[in-house]
Amino acid sequence: MEPGAFELNTSVSNLRHLRASDLGPYDAVYLGNIYCRRYEGNPLERPTELREAIHLVREEGRRAYLTTYAAPRNDTLPVLRAALAVAAAEGAAAVEVHSLGLVKLVRDEFPELPIHVGNFANVYTDAGVEILKGFGVARITPASELPLDEVDAIARAGGIPLELVVHGKLPLGVSEFCILLDHERTWGVPCPELCQREVFLRKEAWGLKSVGKGILSGRDVCLLEHLPRLVAAGHRHFRVEAVSESPEYRRAVGATYREALARALAGDGWLEARSWETLAAHSRLGLANGFAFGRSGMDYIGTEAPSTTEWRAR
Amino acid sequence: MAILLAPAGSPEALHAALEAGADAVYVGLKGWSRGGARGELDGDELARAVRRAAERGAELQVALNTIPKPRERAALLAEIPGLTALGIRTLIVNDVGVLATLRRRFPELSLTASIGCGAQTAADVAFFREIGANAIVLPGTVGPAEAAECAAVGGITVEIMLHMVEEFVLLGKCAMPSYVHLKPTAMPGGLPDVMRQTGSMKRGGVGACFRICQEPWELSSADGYRAAQLFPSRQLSRLGDVPGYLAAGVGVLKLQGRSLPPEQLKPLVARYRRAIDAARAGARPPAFPEPVLPPSWTVVGR
Repeated sequence: MEPGAFELNTSVSNLRHLRASDLGPYDAVYLGNIYCRRYEGNPLERPTELREAIHLVREEGRRAYLTTYAAPRNDTLPVLRAALAVAAAEGAAAVEVHSLGLVKLVRDEFPELPIHVGNFANVYTDAGVEILKGFGVARITPASELPLDEVDAIARAGGIPLELVVHGKLPLGVSEFCILLDHERTWGVPCPELCQREVFLRKEAWGLKSVGKGILSGRDVCLLEHLPRLVAAGHRHFRVEAVSESPEYRRAVGATYREALARALAGDGWLEARSWETLAAHSRLGLANGFAFGRSGMDYIGTEAPSTTEWRAR
Repeated sequence: MAILLAPAGSPEALHAALEAGADAVYVGLKGWSRGGARGELDGDELARAVRRAAERGAELQVALNTIPKPRERAALLAEIPGLTALGIRTLIVNDVGVLATLRRRFPELSLTASIGCGAQTAADVAFFREIGANAIVLPGTVGPAEAAECAAVGGITVEIMLHMVEEFVLLGKCAMPSYVHLKPTAMPGGLPDVMRQTGSMKRGGVGACFRICQEPWELSSADGYRAAQLFPSRQLSRLGDVPGYLAAGVGVLKLQGRSLPPEQLKPLVARYRRAIDAARAGARPPAFPEPVLPPSWTVVGR
């Protein structure tokens, strides 16, 4: 990567959302929904739509990445092989895997596809990075639970670029059950529309977001004011996790981070007040740092945005 | 020939498991296992456990299935020579980095990739074989047909956790408890600078999980829909599938439950012992009039 350069990427679950999204702030897009095979128009299940999605992303001058299921089973492997074949044929720039078996499968069967290892693959240590390096892995998103000091240490020792979620709902869990299906009749919303609604789970001060088979953080993880620290530690690959967000969220949050990252890399950590206003406007339950500072994922450590950390029920 | 691998969280539970016919028993090493402090054995207990198992012709396996931070890894590795000196030959680990490090440093050990590694497919089995695992544990949600595909990979023993609690979030894919609460606590034994990440499913031990998935939640949507929400979980018992797993080539039939008291563990192990023996003899599966464990049984404290 050139000096001063960085990558900001995001995630899009299907072709409909991709068409509605302004990819302007981003360098790359992960295509596909990692949680559910029944997700509306999931390109992992639809080679034709995946092909079109890759074309759309590439026509806009962005890199198209394919993502894959967070917890595949044997019967999913043929489907994923078909998606990987499309990705390889259509010039996808990489594939993200959350299952270690897929690391080997991609290396053995689709060696032309660079491998990004996702957070659900549970890479916790430099020793884990070392193993994956032997499989030719190009990039790793470390486990969500890791604090930044450990992430930095892994980056220094491992020799593989790490990708960090700098904003969005942090992925916290994957299930084989969909908790939203139980509400289909009483709510009057059918699958696959259920998980496209914005659904939160609340208990006292706790908040989670449900996407049916996936659990995400309720608060938006936000590392905006800590970008200079990330950049100084050598990180250059950043993600706005927007798999369950609206196109407007994707555009506005992406633009905020693109500007802030460019400044951070130029040695200017100044943040405009409007940046916080934008993030606050798109956050339903407030902001948090995730596990960045060794605290529980719902905490916010920082000075710039204390007011946005308050619980807000809208 | 497939073996029955039972859990034990105390010397008394070990005795019960052996009495009930376990071919092998796994225990946690104090401070380093995902079972939490309530289900772990210290060095002296471990030495006695090895002897007791050997007297019964059974193997004692040790779970070292938390994920140490890089600076804690040396403390974990320092434990290994003591374990091998006791006659421990099989370790159960939860992290690819730990597994590969142990494989490199202690080639004589048999290493099992824990259920917490999240393997579910034949591709996962092949990956763990390649990095040097001797065995891999699959959850009981993987049925006999899928298990057969996994066993067909070859060169690695496939284990099935055929009695377990299936939580809402898949084992090895959960960071929910630590998201709401994380409490670093000192390690048992007072190891300096080593902190157990209480609340983390991977690094802190399920015994210290805050069980937020067992709390009642309120589900709400932007359009005003509101409902009470409990995360589904169930006790999974694949007793009836024992013949299928044996035919599938599964090498180890494993039971979850290091938190179980001896009086519950013993009938549980005996039940699976009878089922395996019946399957091997080609007999019909034994009939059991009532469940060994109450429906509310949970191994969250495992």
